[in-house]
Amino acid sequence: MLKLRIHQTIPMPLQLNIECANGELHALVGPSGSGKTSALRTIAGLRNPAYGQIECNGEIWFSADEGTGLKPLALSPAQRSCGLLFQQYALFPHLSAIDNVKIPLLNTQHTASEKQIIAQNWLARMGIGELAQRMPNQLSGGQQQRVALARALARQPKVLLLDEPFSAIDTPTRQGLYKTLAELRRDLHIPIVLVTHDLREAGLLADRITVIDRGIGLQTASPQNLFQKPRNSRVAELVGISNLFQGRFNQGKLHWQGTDIALDVVDKNKIPADSVVAWVIPQNGISVSRTKTVLSHTASVSEISAIGQIAVIQFAIPASDQTVIWEASAAEVRRLELAIGIQVELELDGKQIHIMPLRPINDPRRFTTTAPN
Amino acid sequence: MLDTDAIFLSLKLALYTLAIMLPLGVWLAYRLVRMGPAKPWAEALLALPLVLPPTVLGYYLLVGFRDATVFGYPLVFSFGGILLASLIVNLPFAVQPIQRALESISPEIREAAQVSGLSNWQIFRRIELPLAWRGVTSAAVMTFAHTLGEFGVILMVGGAIPGETKTVSIAIYDKVQGFDITGAGSLSLLLLATSLIAITLSYGVLGKRKSC
Repeated sequence: MLKLRIHQTIPMPLQLNIECANGELHALVGPSGSGKTSALRTIAGLRNPAYGQIECNGEIWFSADEGTGLKPLALSPAQRSCGLLFQQYALFPHLSAIDNVKIPLLNTQHTASEKQIIAQNWLARMGIGELAQRMPNQLSGGQQQRVALARALARQPKVLLLDEPFSAIDTPTRQGLYKTLAELRRDLHIPIVLVTHDLREAGLLADRITVIDRGIGLQTASPQNLFQKPRNSRVAELVGISNLFQGRFNQGKLHWQGTDIALDVVDKNKIPADSVVAWVIPQNGISVSRTKTVLSHTASVSEISAIGQIAVIQFAIPASDQTVIWEASAAEVRRLELAIGIQVELELDGKQIHIMPLRPINDPRRFTTTAPN
Repeated sequence: MLDTDAIFLSLKLALYTLAIMLPLGVWLAYRLVRMGPAKPWAEALLALPLVLPPTVLGYYLLVGFRDATVFGYPLVFSFGGILLASLIVNLPFAVQPIQRALESISPEIREAAQVSGLSNWQIFRRIELPLAWRGVTSAAVMTFAHTLGEFGVILMVGGAIPGETKTVSIAIYDKVQGFDITGAGSLSLLLLATSLIAITLSYGVLGKRKSC
């Protein structure tokens, strides 16, 4: 189990609290410059935070408490036993593939022939055993990445850290790497921390995702929970939820800002009365028909974008600037006879609506009765 | 006729300088790469022999060495003195190529070595030094060739004592002064050929390394 609790404000803010169990794949997701790579480097010991604690399988790698005045405990990267896959691979250019993999074995008790066998086995496991004698500049990007992964694993690390591993490889290579990662995860049973800006990939691979923005961990959740129940509007924005709106919530009624629509929403009494909130609704909470019902709201089709068999339709709410995005199959679009300007009836399922504060959880103004500027 | 004493003395001086200067240059370059705010000052100090006229540098060394001794031997007008002067003059020629080579190594390479569990010494020996090899070779050739041809500083500090401080370049000057144009020409040709061979060899070796 890897436990990370770090806090600092300078030179850049970094505030994270993460736990990653053995065998778990934990993704750190955020926009460029959000601090996710810094978090990874902090785990590896390449930089130290001002305060906090990093612990792996009960072993303290870093510890510094605010206000104690004690010298921080900080193990060096060499002492931490982390396998780190760098974004640009960082292979040693003067060494062959196998010699690159043998480097982490340098300070182990193995004999020279054992080191050779271990390194060769790792390369074989990565599917590039026959390329052992090649120099890095004689390998393709995907092959270099596999050498780098073999090198990261050769020392039998306690944690595997992956920095944007999919950013510079083509789609077939990417599919291969997904498979390799799944196998490694099953066989190694160590915490794996993946940094990516691609939320789709994080959702596909990770057990849990931590969304980071400006160095601060905003939410840790399973991919499903993250998309359905983002903690605040910033998280919803970062995870790319298309139907993100604002409103005012009072006693079970959500008044959709900018419209005359009020929706019945279930609340667990967490939200103060008459609060300005952000809210989201997943695709399965939206029903579209051509027949008016008691619960439906009239809207008109303002845009249709068809991508293969999937169509993205934008509905405009009358007398407002609000729009709802709906994804449907091409067959559904034909069945409803949708075209620009056509009027439809939208039903928004209140049970599927997720209400959240406009601001992050550590902001005292997160629930406010006045709308933000 | 060739002045063999001068030739052997020049070779001895160049080899001694090389033997001391290479490890010293690697160490200084390594420190410079990791130096903090004082780095521009240290770089300027090391580059000073490049811009100072050799006679000015020779004058300061002569004054500085005036009463100095090493293991009881005086530095002025002695082989020890010209060796020390040669080391000082060659500092930028040795340090700068190695420093540039070390600086061109991506920080991620060092970090990958750190995360692979290597100590600082292992990172230097296994990763940085092999990657800076071209810079080290270049420094060696520059130092060797430059020492063979150094004139002003050697003359100021060492004078022209045969077998002790009279190097090839000083012998050439002496021969020209004595109207021995043929002797001066032979020695000049020797220096020219030696320098050309050294540089060609180094370029050949560097070229091979580059292509692999």
